[in-house]
Amino acid sequence: MNKRSVGVARALRLYVAIVVAYVALIGWWVYFFSTQAARLQVQLDGTGRALDAAQLEVLHEIADGDARMFLFEGSFLFLLLLSSVVLIVRASRREAALGLQQRNFLSAVTHELRSPLAAIKLYVDSLLGGRVSDEKAQRYLRHAKKDVERLETLVEDVLTARRLDEGRLPYHHEPLDLAELLREALPRLSAHYANGFGDLQFVEEGAATVDGDRAGLLQVVDNLISNAVKYGGESGPVELSVRRSGARVHLAVKDCGPGLPPGGVARLTEPFERGGDERVRTRPGVGLGLFIVREIVAAHGGIFRMSSGGQGGTGTTVTVDLPAWEGELP
Amino acid sequence: MSSERILVVEDEAHLAEVICDNLVLEGWKVESVADGELALEKLLSDPPDLVLLDVMLPGIDGFEVCGRLRASGSRVPVLFLTARSGLDDRVRGLELGGDDYLGKPFELVELIHRVRAILRRSAWSATPSPVGDTLTLGEAVVDFRTYDVQIGDRHLELSQKETLILRCLAERPGEVVSRREILDTVWGYDAFPTARTIDNFIVRLRRLLEPDARAPRYIHTVRGTGYRLTP
Repeated sequence: MNKRSVGVARALRLYVAIVVAYVALIGWWVYFFSTQAARLQVQLDGTGRALDAAQLEVLHEIADGDARMFLFEGSFLFLLLLSSVVLIVRASRREAALGLQQRNFLSAVTHELRSPLAAIKLYVDSLLGGRVSDEKAQRYLRHAKKDVERLETLVEDVLTARRLDEGRLPYHHEPLDLAELLREALPRLSAHYANGFGDLQFVEEGAATVDGDRAGLLQVVDNLISNAVKYGGESGPVELSVRRSGARVHLAVKDCGPGLPPGGVARLTEPFERGGDERVRTRPGVGLGLFIVREIVAAHGGIFRMSSGGQGGTGTTVTVDLPAWEGELP
Repeated sequence: MSSERILVVEDEAHLAEVICDNLVLEGWKVESVADGELALEKLLSDPPDLVLLDVMLPGIDGFEVCGRLRASGSRVPVLFLTARSGLDDRVRGLELGGDDYLGKPFELVELIHRVRAILRRSAWSATPSPVGDTLTLGEAVVDFRTYDVQIGDRHLELSQKETLILRCLAERPGEVVSRREILDTVWGYDAFPTARTIDNFIVRLRRLLEPDARAPRYIHTVRGTGYRLTP
């Protein structure tokens, strides 16, 4: 447990103690006012002067009225305190989730920064040592470039996620043919993932012009395809399709991987969430891709969905619905 | 040409390749595997002379691999090579029986030196000691091969490090052996423990082997320098 959650737990304990004290106080009020009339009667009897029935009735009414008022105020106060406790519990849960997110981030970023750095350093040291063949040297340089690109992507993803989180990412809306965007991205992505990964297949069903931001949607396409290739590319081809249906354009990315982990979409689209134990890594990444996709799609007024055929290698399908461009095409 | 075999356990294929290439250039025989379970299988079925072990691995992680390896009784030297290089992780790795820990990114020359140092120490501990396989200190008889100690009817077992410290001292009877020399011989190049660690091991050895640990008869402290063994 970190220092912050210890602080929250202490505040919560203090709050519970205050609530208990108020409950005890209300109990005392109930007892006090329910016996008030009887005590008044005893005191009046003690004076030796008898009150008539009308006077007694008035006294009882006053006592009962006061009791009702205090009971109402006490209950109101109690409800107020109870709702505060609920809020504190919720806040402490959010705090714990945030702590977990930070730990995931540190663990993932540690690995994702240090591994390519270690490789680049070794390539450079090996080349400087002058003992490698020309062919090997070329290979090392190509790998070093890929590692630099991996670091670049990581830095960009972290910065984008930060800007999205703060709502600072500027969007320039324009008519964009999503099919054309995919055609443009595919050669680059195919080359990047050519190393033993599955095929990328593309099904295009007519023009699919959306109202969107070019850089943002390119990142959505990149992240979805790279995820599909990373998590399902070894099991079969990754299928992409784009089609227009009424006022919406649907983009679907389907892989043949093992499907969604327990907790599904909600968990995977949280920043720095990769599912599973960070020490037992099977795929590179820091867990920002789907968070970035979700946020960019939402900023476009689009809908992001993930579905899985379940266990047994039935794959995952990600669909993004975006508003179609309704204006005139340039 | 050395013929020691090294197993590289690393899931990043490019990194594994460049590490293996450099180890091969140094004359070692190298094999690599990319996941924890395969690594353990290989380590148990065909033990190499050294394993370079990443921690974050698919399957089971490197700590688990090392733990299970030691639990099986294997003494294959383990050099952790990992991005997780915080103090907690280093301590955990060494407590689980790792021999050394190198954080990524690292210098190639440092990796080669450490590998060489571990192999040298491992070869030293595997060769018969010039002073024989056993050491007799009064009633206690220490076996350098099995780490067993027999004191009359009592039977004790020393740890690998305790045995090696004792052997290091026994190979130079009557001479002062500095803490630094013990560290270099038993742990090696720029190793994790400090000179204070040696003192703790000596305290334990005295408790086990000396008739009176407060007035040692065999393992003497030479103030400010190191230790001397007088069998």
